[in-house]
Amino acid sequence: MIIEILQQMLNGLAIGSVYTVIALGLTVVFGILGIAHFAHGSVAMSGGYLTYLFGERLAIGFFPAMALAMLVGAVIGLLIERLAYRPVRDAPHINAFIIALGLTMMVEGINLLTFGADQVVIQTPYRGVFNVGGVAVAELRLLVILTACTLIGVVALLISRTKTGKSIRAVAQNRPAAVLMGVNVNRVSAIVFSVSSALGAAAGALVGALLAIAPGVGEGLAVKGFAVLILGGLGSIPGAIVGGLVLGVSESLAAGFISSAYKDVIAFMVMIVVLLFRPEGLLGKR
Amino acid sequence: MNKLARSIAAAGAALACLGAAAADKELLIGVNDSLTGPGAVYGLPQANSVQMAADEINAAGGIKAGGDVYKLRVIANDDKANPTEATNSVRKLIDRDGVKYLLGFCCSGPTSAVASFIERENALMLVGNAAERAITAKGIPNLFRTRPPADFTGAAAGTFVGKRGAKNVAVIGSLDVGFYTQYLEAFEREFAKAGGKIVAKETFGLKDRDMTPQLTKVRALNPDALLVLGYVEPSAFVYRQATELGMKIPRYGFTSGSEEQFLRVATSEQMEGVWDLRPTELTVEALADNAKTYVANYTKRFGTPPSPSSPYAYDQVYVLKQAVERAGSAEDPKKVTAEVRKVTVPKEAVMKYLPVGGTMFDVNGQAYTSNGAFQWQRGKWVYVSDLPSDPALYSEFLRGLRK
Amino acid sequence: MSRPTVRAMGLAVLVLAALALPLGVTLPYFQHLVILALIWVVLSQGQNLIQGFTGYVSIAQAGFMGIGAYSSTLLSVKLGWPVWLTMAAAPGVTAVLAVLAGYPSLRVKGHYFAIVTLAYNMVIFIVLMTWSSLTGGEAGISNVPRPPDIAIGVLVWDLDSRVGYYYLALAAAALATLLCALILHSRVGRVLVAIRQNEALIEAAGVHSWRYKLLAFVVSAGLAGLAGALYAHFIGFLNPDAFGVDHSLNAILAVILGGSGTLSGPVVGAFAVVFLPEYLRVAENYRLVIYGFILVTATIFMPRGLVPLVASGLRALAARLKREPA
Repeated sequence: MIIEILQQMLNGLAIGSVYTVIALGLTVVFGILGIAHFAHGSVAMSGGYLTYLFGERLAIGFFPAMALAMLVGAVIGLLIERLAYRPVRDAPHINAFIIALGLTMMVEGINLLTFGADQVVIQTPYRGVFNVGGVAVAELRLLVILTACTLIGVVALLISRTKTGKSIRAVAQNRPAAVLMGVNVNRVSAIVFSVSSALGAAAGALVGALLAIAPGVGEGLAVKGFAVLILGGLGSIPGAIVGGLVLGVSESLAAGFISSAYKDVIAFMVMIVVLLFRPEGLLGKR
Repeated sequence: MNKLARSIAAAGAALACLGAAAADKELLIGVNDSLTGPGAVYGLPQANSVQMAADEINAAGGIKAGGDVYKLRVIANDDKANPTEATNSVRKLIDRDGVKYLLGFCCSGPTSAVASFIERENALMLVGNAAERAITAKGIPNLFRTRPPADFTGAAAGTFVGKRGAKNVAVIGSLDVGFYTQYLEAFEREFAKAGGKIVAKETFGLKDRDMTPQLTKVRALNPDALLVLGYVEPSAFVYRQATELGMKIPRYGFTSGSEEQFLRVATSEQMEGVWDLRPTELTVEALADNAKTYVANYTKRFGTPPSPSSPYAYDQVYVLKQAVERAGSAEDPKKVTAEVRKVTVPKEAVMKYLPVGGTMFDVNGQAYTSNGAFQWQRGKWVYVSDLPSDPALYSEFLRGLRK
Repeated sequence: MSRPTVRAMGLAVLVLAALALPLGVTLPYFQHLVILALIWVVLSQGQNLIQGFTGYVSIAQAGFMGIGAYSSTLLSVKLGWPVWLTMAAAPGVTAVLAVLAGYPSLRVKGHYFAIVTLAYNMVIFIVLMTWSSLTGGEAGISNVPRPPDIAIGVLVWDLDSRVGYYYLALAAAALATLLCALILHSRVGRVLVAIRQNEALIEAAGVHSWRYKLLAFVVSAGLAGLAGALYAHFIGFLNPDAFGVDHSLNAILAVILGGSGTLSGPVVGAFAVVFLPEYLRVAENYRLVIYGFILVTATIFMPRGLVPLVASGLRALAARLKREPA
């Protein structure tokens, strides 16, 4: 019984860490720019497809391919920010959200045209399985968790230790004041979106390696990402980390012990319960 | 449209021109299949094989019946494994394109939707890979199926697994889907006769990819074997994740998936030792020269080997040919239908059919193939043994289901 | 001529045209599309109420349509209730569910709200697909009945025919538009518009915006439920595919395209959303990209939608014409 619980939890940690990376990409954009960037899930899918393509065509390993896809992701983020969101930065928030929906359709559509409708599984050479006291630890899952940790660590450092990070935090706290202090909001906006989309691309690569990339997967990821945001507190990075892992593990435990058919519903139930009783999230400020 | 679909369309157009130039009559075939989506692993190879058969027949001079020569033209529609799309697609084929002969039908959901109204139409419907028993249990006069119902195979599989010494089997499958439940019922019945018990029945959806929670649950029960009942892609994930969870028990499945389809998701090592208990479909050791030729031609033409169940559609074309020849004309589907009832197994057929009462199709419009046990060995599906089954007995059982 | 007179004349022409439509449009294919468009008018008017008037984007409209569709279908097919009754009950069932759904989600603002409604749609879709013992799952429910004929003296309203159903859909679309017009011109409507413009301000003025938001949400869901019932009994075959998130996005598109916050906007938008895919059939693969592009550019360049744009264009033209004869 204990082994079963531990196994379910470990399984859940792997997918949970992917949720965290997605949520991180969402929370930086939301917390700093106030935009619910729903198209993030589809951008993640593009990253996954690109990782697959780079791996196959350029005959490079998984991590180099992922790095390359992250670079492309960053560029995509820049384009999205400049062309789609900047024009409505000062318009009512609802406009930005509708643009997010429009972007989702566009990116999904472009993915469909470019990569087709079949599912894509990124095969990796990491197929070992270690037995730790009855719990099977798959090499791939371990690597996914480690990669996610690394990415999160790097972004957290970027925001807390660098000068750019300081500008970003300034805009997040008080945009008019930041402008007065000479912070270039356009530049901050561009950087935030590049970082967010690069993270998204990485998440897509990880999903492709763990499971598969296919039309429709991106939407589900985006929704789960927002569920994590609501759970952890919008704009909170520690919240995104804790929230993602909690969601992944709860899904796994619920699927294992209650019902596997309604697994995806768990995320949404969690979201609704949190909104009812603690709308600022587990780690958000009241 | 993807490359394969485009090549089908191009070849079809080219042949249509050829046919028209020779001032022969045209026999229009409508293929309704899942060319995209989760059913595409079954539907696309079927559509391809129908086109290939039509081209072969045209190249050999067409169908000669009652003084006329018919050249075949194929129109393929994608039902996206969706019952509403399938209904619309068939409506379009019958109403707008004037099709009288409908082939293909890989997936039970869309096929059942079409079967619910086909009796009222002036058309003949030949069903392929769709395994839902109810499709032929209703005794629809203008519907025939080349693939045996799922439970016909399930029973044979249950006996086989029992004989291999398993006593406790855990089942994981798309158990919301009718024909998988039918397979399981028959399996459980025969397995019980050998003293076996099903210790778990876990579900997953047709499009699910992460079955680690269900597998973890199953692993804790310590079964002797795992029975996986799902489409190729989810089953592939199950096989892969079972190894990732350190499970070493025998894995039995019912997918009719090709090597290439499985290797897109799992590695050969992860698949090693997996069984597929299914109709004795395309494997060169199990079938005769027709099969070898079919595989070679298909691979050359489409750049990828055919899926094991694709010949169900290929054979449909040759059944149609024989029926048209016997009827003397292709104009009246009712006459052709009457002849289909009486056809013998065409000599070009790839599958090994077991005629019941002297004809290929029994009184329900159902054809039967033998069942076989296939095992994945070093990257290939290897035919290991026959799974004995009794088509005459099953035929009576099926007839008895009609109210 | 005065504006109100022009308006009244225009409306009269429209009504006559709508009543006479089946005489002009005889191709079954087009009649089918028009009926679907009218059903979508009901849906879009609902969407406009919560999105256009109140300013809260709901991504659950297709999900609520599904609730209405399955309620009416299950009550008539499984319990044998008369179809008129089930069609009337469907909006009610949907409204009750909307109250339960709206309660937690309307406490939060814009972005949160939208995402939560998206989650609702996904939950509804998953449940409809998975609870197959009740809903038939992906394989769906066939033979959903049409309402029985209504005989008034010697006139028979045959609802089995396409023309007969057209008038039913037309009546529903007209009712939906009328309902929204009534709301818009009432005190409730003014509060809703005020919420869209500046929620903080009216809260400070002592208005419980929450109650008004809930009302808008519930009415909009009720309209979606009605649209669902009409849809199910029209097509005759019901499965969850028509109620996924992408259809909710279509509802949003319809409102944006036609004109948020106007009464004729959703009508234009509904027809656009139903007819466009048929004309874009050639470019099926590009459809998503085109829709998305329209949504993005429309929001950036014409955020108030087509109808206000055309209306203001016409007004400018009329003003120009008035100036000519000095």
